[in-house]
Amino acid sequence: MNGCLIIIERELLALLRSGRTLAILLAVSIAFSFIVFLKWPSSGIVDLDGAKGREVFAWLTYAMLAAAILIVPVFPSTSLVTEVRRRTLELLLNSPLSRTSIYLGKALAMLGFVMLLLFATLPALTCCYLMGGLSFTDDVLKLYLFLTLVSLQLIVIGLLVGTYCRSTESALRWSYGVTFAMTIVPWFPDALFPGGTSPIAQGCQLLKLISPIPALMKMLNQSSVGGSGLMESRDPVLWYVGFATLFIVVGSVVCILRLSHSLLDRSRSQGFITDDQDQWVRASRRVLFLVDPQRRSAGIPPFVNPVMVKEFQCRQFGRMHWLLRLVAGCAVLSLLLTLASAQGTESRGVEYTGALIIVLQVALIVLLTPGLASGMIAGEMEGGSWNLLRVTPLTPGRILRGKLISVVLTLALLLCATLPGYAVIMLIKPTLQQQVVQVLICLILAAVLSMLVSATVSSFFRKTAVATTVSYGCLVAIFGGTMLIWMNREAPFGFGFVQQALRLNPMAAALNAMQAAGFESYDLIPSSWWITGITSIVLLVILYFQTLRLTRPD
Amino acid sequence: MQNQAPVVEIHELSKHYGEFVALDNLSLTLNRGSILGFIGPNGAGKTTTIRILVGLSRPTSGYARIGGSDCVRELAKVRRLVGYMPDKFGSYDNMRVREYLDFFGAAFGISRRERQKRVAEVLELTNATWMQDRYVESLSHGMQQRVGIARTLLHNPEVLILDEPANGLDPEARIEMRTILLRLAAEGRTLIVTSHILPELARICDRIAIVAGGKLRAVGTLQEVTRELSQRRTIEIQFLNSATIAAAAGRLRPMLEHDAEITVSETESIIRCRTAANDEKLTELLRHLISSGDLVSQFREVAGDLEEAFVSAAREAEAERTEKAAAKAPAAEVAR
Repeated sequence: MNGCLIIIERELLALLRSGRTLAILLAVSIAFSFIVFLKWPSSGIVDLDGAKGREVFAWLTYAMLAAAILIVPVFPSTSLVTEVRRRTLELLLNSPLSRTSIYLGKALAMLGFVMLLLFATLPALTCCYLMGGLSFTDDVLKLYLFLTLVSLQLIVIGLLVGTYCRSTESALRWSYGVTFAMTIVPWFPDALFPGGTSPIAQGCQLLKLISPIPALMKMLNQSSVGGSGLMESRDPVLWYVGFATLFIVVGSVVCILRLSHSLLDRSRSQGFITDDQDQWVRASRRVLFLVDPQRRSAGIPPFVNPVMVKEFQCRQFGRMHWLLRLVAGCAVLSLLLTLASAQGTESRGVEYTGALIIVLQVALIVLLTPGLASGMIAGEMEGGSWNLLRVTPLTPGRILRGKLISVVLTLALLLCATLPGYAVIMLIKPTLQQQVVQVLICLILAAVLSMLVSATVSSFFRKTAVATTVSYGCLVAIFGGTMLIWMNREAPFGFGFVQQALRLNPMAAALNAMQAAGFESYDLIPSSWWITGITSIVLLVILYFQTLRLTRPD
Repeated sequence: MQNQAPVVEIHELSKHYGEFVALDNLSLTLNRGSILGFIGPNGAGKTTTIRILVGLSRPTSGYARIGGSDCVRELAKVRRLVGYMPDKFGSYDNMRVREYLDFFGAAFGISRRERQKRVAEVLELTNATWMQDRYVESLSHGMQQRVGIARTLLHNPEVLILDEPANGLDPEARIEMRTILLRLAAEGRTLIVTSHILPELARICDRIAIVAGGKLRAVGTLQEVTRELSQRRTIEIQFLNSATIAAAAGRLRPMLEHDAEITVSETESIIRCRTAANDEKLTELLRHLISSGDLVSQFREVAGDLEEAFVSAAREAEAERTEKAAAKAPAAEVAR
C-alpha cells in the first residue's frame, strides 16, 4: 500500500506540475461555464417544473462524457511508454515495489486527475442544480459515479495499450482508436441495421450496450431516443456497469501481468528475408502474401518522390501488403454499407442511410488523419532525422510534397472504399445523383482539411504526441464544435449564426447536400466549399513556409 | 597544386544567440586527406561549428568554406561535398538498413542502378553488409553508428564530419570504428571528428583543434597542441646506473621552480621531472648534470598528454568566464 502511495504521489505531482494540466482544467471550466451561459434562462423567469434545469443537466452530462473521452486517454496511454523510453520503468521494476502497486499507483493517480477534471465542472453543475428539477443523489451523485467508472475504464484502456506500444504517438493513436471503438463505433451497426429480430440485429443491439452512451441516455430518461427492440427490454445502465467492471478487472490483471521486464526486453528482428529462403518457402509466401513484405526491395524507382516512398515504408501499415489488406477491409465495409443502404431505404429512406455513411466516413477521417499526418514533421524532429533531411539536396517543396502525397493516397483509398454505398443510393433514387456528387466533393474537402490541419499543427511542435493531441483537438473543434452549435439551433443561436458556423464544417455541408434531417433548411453549398478550400490553401501556405523555415539554416 | 589548397577553411567564425556567444572568431584550415580531432568540453562550440559547416546554422559573422564553396551562399554545393553524421542517429521505424540507405541515396539524386552499387560498397566499407536486412531501429548503438557512417558515404563526399562517432561504443566496436576512419582518410577524404574519448582521437588524428568557451584554444599536431596548452612538460633523464641518481635529483631541485615534481625510479635508473621550464633552462640543466659527472645516457621529453591539454583549455575558458562575470557584477551594482 505504501508503494502504491509513493507512485500516486509521484505521478500526481508530475501531472499537476505540468502546464498542460492547468490548461486542460481551465479549458474545461470555461467550456462548461459557456454551456450553462448558453442555456441560462434569458427572461429571468424559471418554470417550477424543473424542465429547464434537466435540459441543461443533460447538456452538461453529454459534454462531461465527451470531455472524458477526449482528455482521459492522453495521460495513461503515454505514461507507460514514456517510462519505458526514459528507462525509469527499469528502476521501478528493480525497486521493492510490486507490479500491482506500480499499476495501482499509476491508475489511481490518473483517477485523481480525473476527479480534478470532474470537480472543474462542479460550478457549472451547481448552477444547473440551482435551476431546480434535479435530485442530488439520483442525478448529480449518480452522474459523477458513472463518469468515474467510464474514466476508470478509459484509464485501463490507456495503460493496457501502453504496454503494447513502443512510441507515445502510436500509444496515443491506439488509445483513441480503442476508446472510440468502445464508445462511439458500437452505435453504427445498430443504426445501420435497426430494430430487427435476426441474430445479426440482436448482436448489433447487444454490441451497442458496451458503449456508455445508451446507459447515460437511460439515466437521463432519454432511452427512447436511441433504444429499440432489445434495448427497451434490458437496462443499459446495468449492462454497461457490468461490462465496464469486467473490463476494468480483466484489463487490470492483463496489464499487471504485462508490467514486467519483458516490456524492456523486446527481441530484435534478425532480418528474415524471403530471398534467402528455400525455393518452396519463396513460392508459398508469394501465393500467401501476393506482395511479400519480407522480400528484398529493388529500391526506390526513378521519377518517384523518395520521401513519399519513405513515408509509406516507415508507416506501420504503409507497406503494400498492408495497403492491400486495407483495401480488402474497406471493400468489406463498403459491402456492409451497400447492404445497409439497400435495407435502410425500406424503413427510413436513403437520406437517413446516406447521412449515416457520411458521419461514419468523417469519423474515420477524423480518427485516422492525425495518426497519418501529425507526425509528419514533429516525428522527424523528435527522432532526429529532420536534420538528416536538411543536409540532403531535397528541396522543402519536395519533402512536403512527398509527405502530403503519402497521406492523400491513403485517405483516397479509404474514401474510395465507401463509393459502392453511394452507388446503391443512386440506383435506388437516381434523382440523388447530383447530391451524391456534392457529398463526395464535401468528403474530399473534409479529408484535405483534416490532413492540412494535422500537418500544419505538426510543423509547430517537436513532439509527435503533443502534435497528435492538438490535431485531434482542432479536428474535433471543427467537426464536433460546429455540430454543438447546430444542436443549439433553436436557442440561443439564431438561424444565421448556425448557418455561418456550419459552413466551416464540410461534414455539415455533406449532410446538407444529402438533405439529412435537421440540415434541409440551410444553404451551405457552395459557400462551405469556398470556405474549406480557402482555409486549406491558407493552411498549405502556412505549412509550406513553416517547412521552408525549418529547413533553412538556424 | 590543388591538393595543397585547404579543403576546409573557417575564417573568424562567430555565432551569437542573443547575448550568449557560442563561437568567437574561430579560424581554422584543413588540408585534404587529414583527420582533424575537434575537441572541447560540453557547450564549447564544437557542434555549433559543425552545424555551420554542414549548413544547418548560419554564422553571425565570418565565413566557412568547404572545397571553396561558401557554407551559406553555396549550400547546395556544400551538401554534395559533405557527409554529416550527427550525434543522434535519426532512425526511421519499420525500415531495413538497405531501404534506409536507398532512401538517402535517392535523396541525393543517385540513379537506381548506381545506388544499388553504392549501397553495397558503403556497407562493405563499414563492415555492415551482414546487417543490410535488419530493421534500423532494432540495431545496437554500435551497429547504428556504422550504418550512420555508411549513410554519410553514399554520395561519395570529399569531407566527412562525424559528431561523436565513438560515443557509447564498446572497445571492440571502437577499434573497428578507428580502422574504418583510417581507411577513409587513406582514400583521400578529409575527416572532422569530435569526441570525448581523447586517447581514441590521439591515435587517429593528425591534427587536433581544442575549442573551449567558443574560442579556439590550440590547433596543430598532438605535440604542438599539448606543448601549447600544457603548462608543464615531462622530462625523463635516464642514467647509466642508479648509483648517483639520488644525488643528481638533489642537484636538480634548486635549478627548477619550487613546485616542480621530481620522481626518482631507482629500479629504472630514471628521474622524471614535471616542470614549466623552457628549452633554454633544460639545456642548462643537462649541461649542469654532465659537468657534475652524472652518467646521463638519455635526456628526453615525454610526448604530451591530450587530456591534460584539454583540461588546461577548459580551465582557461572557465577562468575567462569567471573574469567576465566579475567584471559584469560591479557594473550591474553601479547601475542599481
